[in-house]
Amino acid sequence: MEKIEITLNINGKPHEVTIYPNDTLLDVLRDKLDLTGSKESCGEGVCGSCTVHMDGKPVRACLTLAMEAQDAEIKTVEGLANGDELSNLQQSFIDHGAVQCGFCTPGMLMSADALLRENPKPDEKTIRKALAGNICRCTGYAKIVQAVAHAAQPQDNCCDCKSKE
Amino acid sequence: MLLPRFDYLDPKNLEEALDLLAVHKEDAKVLAGGTDLLVRMKKGLLTPKVLISLKSLNELSYIKEEAGCIKIGARTPLADIIASGPVQDNARALSQACEKVGAITMQHYRGTIGGNILQDNRCHHYNQSDFHRSGHQACHKNGGKTCYARENADRCNSTCQSDGSTALMALGAKLVLLSKGQERTVDLDNFYTADGIMPHDMEPHELLKEIIIPINGARSAYKRLAYRSAIDYPIVCAGVLVRPSDSQKDRIDEARIVVGAMGRAPLFLAQASSSLKGKKLDDTDAFKKAADASMDSAATFAVHNVGSTLEYRCSMISPLVLQGLKEAASEK
Repeated sequence: MEKIEITLNINGKPHEVTIYPNDTLLDVLRDKLDLTGSKESCGEGVCGSCTVHMDGKPVRACLTLAMEAQDAEIKTVEGLANGDELSNLQQSFIDHGAVQCGFCTPGMLMSADALLRENPKPDEKTIRKALAGNICRCTGYAKIVQAVAHAAQPQDNCCDCKSKE
Repeated sequence: MLLPRFDYLDPKNLEEALDLLAVHKEDAKVLAGGTDLLVRMKKGLLTPKVLISLKSLNELSYIKEEAGCIKIGARTPLADIIASGPVQDNARALSQACEKVGAITMQHYRGTIGGNILQDNRCHHYNQSDFHRSGHQACHKNGGKTCYARENADRCNSTCQSDGSTALMALGAKLVLLSKGQERTVDLDNFYTADGIMPHDMEPHELLKEIIIPINGARSAYKRLAYRSAIDYPIVCAGVLVRPSDSQKDRIDEARIVVGAMGRAPLFLAQASSSLKGKKLDDTDAFKKAADASMDSAATFAVHNVGSTLEYRCSMISPLVLQGLKEAASEK
């Protein structure tokens, strides 16, 4: 097994890395590029905490070989904010208390971001379906679903949305 | 979790891929989406020396209507199949089955229909970590002589939990397999070996090219039961098809009932299926009898090895088949 030099396009920037063929995208992101936002939890595609975008579609970084990600536009949770300015979705997670321990949050954000790009006004059922591949053991999901729903369209009757103004 | 070591090969076209398969044979595994293969490799169930990636083989990713059939390339992502109009119109069971696989973020963009059909059989005594398996003697599937799923069994009783295969078998699909210089077409009905260790009748140097589903005016449905609605395998599932007669539109000319996640392969239940021939499309009593007959036949194959209790799984066959038949019959 030989080391290979590849280029990965992550959050709009090319990164040259030397990897082994058996390195997953998640290994490279976390260990070689210090992009530790994406988390490893189960490592077998069940929990969703490693979710990143490849060409705009959410995928599991723990089940994607780095070799397979070479030609794709990769976006990680670090690429959601614009500099120091959080995205609407990130701010909504904070406002609605959708974060407790925070371990699932990067995956939740990436799955939700992909959904909102495809469908800017999703109903609750659509949101729950889109997040079905992400597991959270703290919040019971209600706040997370609310945060996603209200990120795109803040509600007048939601005290969390109001507090933002 | 680390993956074992392997060499990664990235053939640029189909011919090159078949050449590589012919050279490496059983040392190689084909990597499509990786959502099943890489999990098995991480658990140490598979340690191929070479992975042959289908990443560059866009020629294996298509859905087209041709000569009265729907042809689906083996590397087509599940998301494309779910979104396909022709599949929804003519092979609804497949569309429903693909929707149930994994979760949107997990399988639908990376996972492929070929990978779903060719996934290895599972058993909750076998699909475990190295550490778990090191706690007891190796089972048949792991190279030993014991079966933990059924006492004193002389062979492996692993279960085929593929959603796609169950739906496709109900639809009467065929598979096109390629090897260097050769191509063969096999009915999905005859693709299984009834051996839990090597469940598919496929040589190591062969590559699944496409899936052919006949368009014949049949209506179909897929129903499944799993612990969770996402990221889970079925503990019992049913694919059904009913084709109305050409002369009498309200009569069934052909029915196919397939029960999955019960045996080493999806089970096509010939007797229960043929009992529906000539029956009316709204004959609920006949559906109920066929569903009960399906349960009686399929339950004899069941082994307690994919979770839940055996009694519950078996007793749910009948309701799933009945729901499927009613839904398929009332389609359009």
